[in-house]
Amino acid sequence: MGGELEIKGLYKSFMVNSQKLSVLEGIDLTVGDGEFVVIVGRSGCGKSTLLKIIAGLEMPESGTLRLAGKPISGPGFDRGMIFQEHRLMPWLTIERNVALGLGRVKKKDRARIARKYLSMVQLEGFENAYPSQLSGGMSQRAAIARALATEPDTLLLDEPFGALDALTKIEMQDELLRIRANQKSMMLMVTHDVDEAVFLADRIVVMSSRPGRVRAIVNIELPEVRDRGSADFAWYKKKIFDYFFEHGSEESTDFTI
Amino acid sequence: MKNKPLSILFSLILPALIFSAWHFATVAELVPTLLLPRLDAVGRTLFEQVSKGSIIKDVSISLSRIIKGYALAVAIGVSLGAVMGMSRIAEKFFSLTFTSIRQIPMMAWVPLLVIWFGIGEKSKVAVIFLASYFPILMNTISGIRRTDNGLLEVGRMYQLSRWEMFRTIYLPSALPSVFVGLKLALGISWMAVVGAEMIAASSGIGFRINDARALMQFPVVFCGMLAIAVVGVLMDAIITAASKLATPWERVR
Ligand SMILES: Nc1ncnc2c1ncn2[C@@H]1O[C@H](COP(=O)(O)OP(=O)(O)O)[C@@H](O)[C@H]1O
Ligand SMILES: [Mg+2]
Repeated sequence: MGGELEIKGLYKSFMVNSQKLSVLEGIDLTVGDGEFVVIVGRSGCGKSTLLKIIAGLEMPESGTLRLAGKPISGPGFDRGMIFQEHRLMPWLTIERNVALGLGRVKKKDRARIARKYLSMVQLEGFENAYPSQLSGGMSQRAAIARALATEPDTLLLDEPFGALDALTKIEMQDELLRIRANQKSMMLMVTHDVDEAVFLADRIVVMSSRPGRVRAIVNIELPEVRDRGSADFAWYKKKIFDYFFEHGSEESTDFTI
Repeated sequence: MKNKPLSILFSLILPALIFSAWHFATVAELVPTLLLPRLDAVGRTLFEQVSKGSIIKDVSISLSRIIKGYALAVAIGVSLGAVMGMSRIAEKFFSLTFTSIRQIPMMAWVPLLVIWFGIGEKSKVAVIFLASYFPILMNTISGIRRTDNGLLEVGRMYQLSRWEMFRTIYLPSALPSVFVGLKLALGISWMAVVGAEMIAASSGIGFRINDARALMQFPVVFCGMLAIAVVGVLMDAIITAASKLATPWERVR
């Protein structure tokens, strides 16, 4: 088990056309061990940047990040990341892709572990297929298996189902909940799908843009198994939407319902 | 085209047309045989040279020069290209020098190479090396450069070492481009061998062509050209086959 993730006073900017563009400003966020937090915000508000900083792929300019008490200074096996694109190596079979992060594991155990996680995401029988032979949903399952294989305490998900069709997406969300019940890892997910956010999250972080800040944090007090058709579910969705439309001028129709 | 024999037959249509045009143009004396020898004369010369074994000898001598120079170019071009593609610093360090050297026509090197390596085998291999090195280097660099940043991020997430990054991400991603370089370089090395064998050679297909041209034996010149074309096509096919073997994932699409 890992510990909590603590972000304090995070600031990040990029140089764009030799001008400094503040992307994240004053981000304070604490995510508890085993908690599922979903971040929503319009496109370009710095969600991916925030996840990359937590992953250790980008460095913040100021602010502190601690995971289980230790400062984050680069990528580590305590964190796994799932991107919007599956990012499987086209030249590796699915099994080798899933085993990509298993360099520290004994050679003879790698295939066994990869197979275990492939069966967890229901991809038995595809071990020797190449990514190009898989559908979008199957590729994303393989990417999830790859991220799980290293047994990270924290899973970072950057719009992982954004490119999938509506039905596959719902299937994958159920799958993710099943995995979560199994692994008990902390999940930090970015989405622009409010329905998805309310369906999955313990807490929803609403971000505002330019620069990206935490605008509100909403606790979702719904039962573990959620009914998308219930009145409470709709109430939470409306509550989240309202954050984006309350100042009519700032926000636009960037969200799927 | 799915049907293999049919597709080979299809690619033979144009060569057949060219040869028939050649044959009829010379038989009907539309073109003086001084400009274009008759096809049957070339055929007879070819038959003679094959039965004497001289053309086989010439081709194999040139081929061994090409293989030496080319192999050296592949080894250095691919490894240096990989380093330059992966490291901005290495790229900066070499690029000005290489860009300037690349502009120099390979024939301009010949006098220098003769002084450095003498008139023996070494200078001929060196010409072929110089000619085939740059296409391999440039295509390797650009292949490595075009590696998807998203995949590299995955490698970084798993803290792959530089060597593992190269082996599992950069190299496979660059392979198609590397093979483009290998093919280009192979064609160029046949051009170079003809040039190289102008240097005090007494054998080789390039020497044979130069020699026959001086003696106005045009059928022999054409035989040499045909031999280069045929061997070139074969070697190109070998590289194509190697590239298919090296990139099995490209075939399952
Ligand atoms: N490497 C980078 N260099 C320059 N600008 C960047 C870079 N990465 C992201 N940005 C900019 O930072 C802003 C936030 O990007 P991102 O975190 O991808 O947003 P989101 O994921 O919320 O859509 C965007 O304006 C984007 O153009
Ligand atoms: Mg993003």
